[in-house]
Amino acid sequence: MIKDITIGQYFPGRSILHRMDARMKIVLTFAVIVLIFLCKSFFSMGLMVAFVIALVFASRVPLKTVLKSLKPIFFIVIFTAVLNIFYTTGGAWTISIWVLKISEKGVFTALFMAVRIICLVVISSLLTYTTTPTSLTDALERLLSPLKIFKIEVHTIAMMMTLALRFIPTLIEEIDRIMSAQKARGADWESGSLVSRAKALVPVLVPLFVSSFRRAYELAFAMECRCYTGGKGRTRMKQMKLRVIDFVSMTVTAALLAGIIMLNIYFDKVIA
Amino acid sequence: MPVISTRGLTHLYGKGTPFEVAAIKDINIDIEKGELVGIIGHTGSGKSTLIQHLNGILKPEKGTVMLNGNDIWSSKQSIREARFQVGLCFQYPEYQLFEETVYKDIAFGPKNMKLGDDEIDRRVLAAAEYVGLKADLLQKSPFDLSGGEKRRAAIAGVMAMEPAVLILDEPTAGLDPRGRDKILDLIKKYRDNTGSTILLVSHCMEDIARLASRVLVLENAVVAMFGSVQEVYSRGTELFDMGLNVPQVTRIFAGLRDRGLDVSAGIYTVEQGRQELLRFFGKGAKA
Repeated sequence: MIKDITIGQYFPGRSILHRMDARMKIVLTFAVIVLIFLCKSFFSMGLMVAFVIALVFASRVPLKTVLKSLKPIFFIVIFTAVLNIFYTTGGAWTISIWVLKISEKGVFTALFMAVRIICLVVISSLLTYTTTPTSLTDALERLLSPLKIFKIEVHTIAMMMTLALRFIPTLIEEIDRIMSAQKARGADWESGSLVSRAKALVPVLVPLFVSSFRRAYELAFAMECRCYTGGKGRTRMKQMKLRVIDFVSMTVTAALLAGIIMLNIYFDKVIA
Repeated sequence: MPVISTRGLTHLYGKGTPFEVAAIKDINIDIEKGELVGIIGHTGSGKSTLIQHLNGILKPEKGTVMLNGNDIWSSKQSIREARFQVGLCFQYPEYQLFEETVYKDIAFGPKNMKLGDDEIDRRVLAAAEYVGLKADLLQKSPFDLSGGEKRRAAIAGVMAMEPAVLILDEPTAGLDPRGRDKILDLIKKYRDNTGSTILLVSHCMEDIARLASRVLVLENAVVAMFGSVQEVYSRGTELFDMGLNVPQVTRIFAGLRDRGLDVSAGIYTVEQGRQELLRFFGKGAKA
C-alpha cells in the first residue's frame, strides 16, 4: 500500500521537452502560466488549448499518465466552476431557477476558469514529467543564484532539496520494514479508537526518527570525506547549456504571446 | 501433524503492472514440531517473502499457509493468533527498538498479547536470560546498548511472546565473530530449553551446518532443495551453480577426496572434520 505513493513523477524519455534545458523549461512554464490568464476571448483560449495539447503530444508522455495528474484537482475545477456560474452576473441573458440566477457571463467565466485550471495543471505536470528531480533542483539553484546578493545560501537550499527528494523512497522502504517488524510483535493500528491508533504509531515513528538521524550523520560524514564544503568553487559534472532547441522554444512561446494578444484584440473578450 | 505447512504458496510483486514478478512460486513445505530448519538462497530468491507469509505479514496471492492444520487467513482472529504463534524476527531487528527502557521494549510483544502483568514480567525476564542480557541493562535505554546487545534485546522482544515457531532472518548479519557465536549459542540454548520450532534464514553455510537439522534451498522463487543437511550439502556443485557455497571445511574434504585420500564426503562442521582427520591418521598410523 505504502509503496504505491509516487513522488517525483519523472517519466523517462528522449522527446523535445525532455531534451530542453531545465532552466529554460522552468522559465517558460512560468511564462505560459501567465499567458493562460491573458487569454480572454474564445479564440485566444482556443489557441492556448491547442498549444497545451501539442505539448502533451510532443512530450511523448502517455495521455493516460497526463490525465491521471488531473484527477486530484477534479474537485477544485468543479468547485470553482460552480461558484463562478452563480456568483458572476451580467451578459445578454439570465435564467432564474428558484433563488439561483445563471447569467451568460457566469457560464462563460465558469468555463474559462475550468479550462484555465486544467491547462495550468497539465503544463506544470509536463514540467515534472519531463525533468528529473535532480535537474529541477539544479536549475532552480541556477535561477535563484541572484539571491546570493541578499546573503541567501541558494546552493545549500538546493542541496537540501536534492537530498530530501533522494531520501523519500529510502524512508518509505524503512517505514514499510519497521511497520512489518512491529506488526510481527502484535502492533495493531487498524482497529481501536483514534487515540489508541495514534498511540500505536509511536513504535513506528521512534525507530524512524532514530534511523533518519543515523542516516543524516552517515551522509554528512561521507560528504565531508569527499571534501564537500558547500557551494563555493564547486563545478558540475553536467554543465547546463542552452542549445538551439531552447532558443526555438523561447521563440515559440514569444509567438504564442503575440498570437494571444492579437486574438484578444481582434475578437470580443468574453471575460474581464 | 506439521506445525507449519504451505500449499501452492505464491506471491506476486507489482501485480497488474508490466513489472509483475513472482517473489515466490508454488511453495509446498511441511515443517515438523521441534525442527530447526535452515533457509538458504541467493539475494532475491524469495527467502524474506516466504517467511513473511508464515506469520501473516504478507497475504498470499494464491495458496494457503497452515498453522497446526488451520488456514491462518480463515478469520481475523486466526491471523492475530498466527502473529503470536509464529514469532518473526526481521533482519537488523535492532532498528525496531523504540521504548524508553530495554525492559519495556521486550514487554511490547507480550503486552500486545494482553497478558497479565505478572506473566509479562516472567516472560521478559526469561527472554532476557535466554539472550544473556544482565538485569542492570534492562532499565537502560535501548539506544545506549552496544550493537550486539541491541540485536540480542530485539531478539528477546520476539522470544518474549513465547511463539511455538521462531523465525530469525539473518540474525548474525553484520556482527563480529564473537557476537555471531553468541547469537548462535543462544538460539541453540533457546531451542534445547523450550523445544520450539526454529526457522533460521542465513547465507552462512557454516551457521546452518552447526544448527540445522534440515535445509531449505530457494532459487528463483521456487524450492530447489529441501532435505537433511547431509542431502543438501552433498550436492555441492549444484549449490555452487546457484551462487551458493558449501562450508569451507566441506570443500577441503572434497578436495582431499579428489586427491585420492579416503576421507568421508559428509563433513559439514570443523568438529566433524577434526574427528575425521583423527580417524584417518589413526588408521594410517596402524597400517
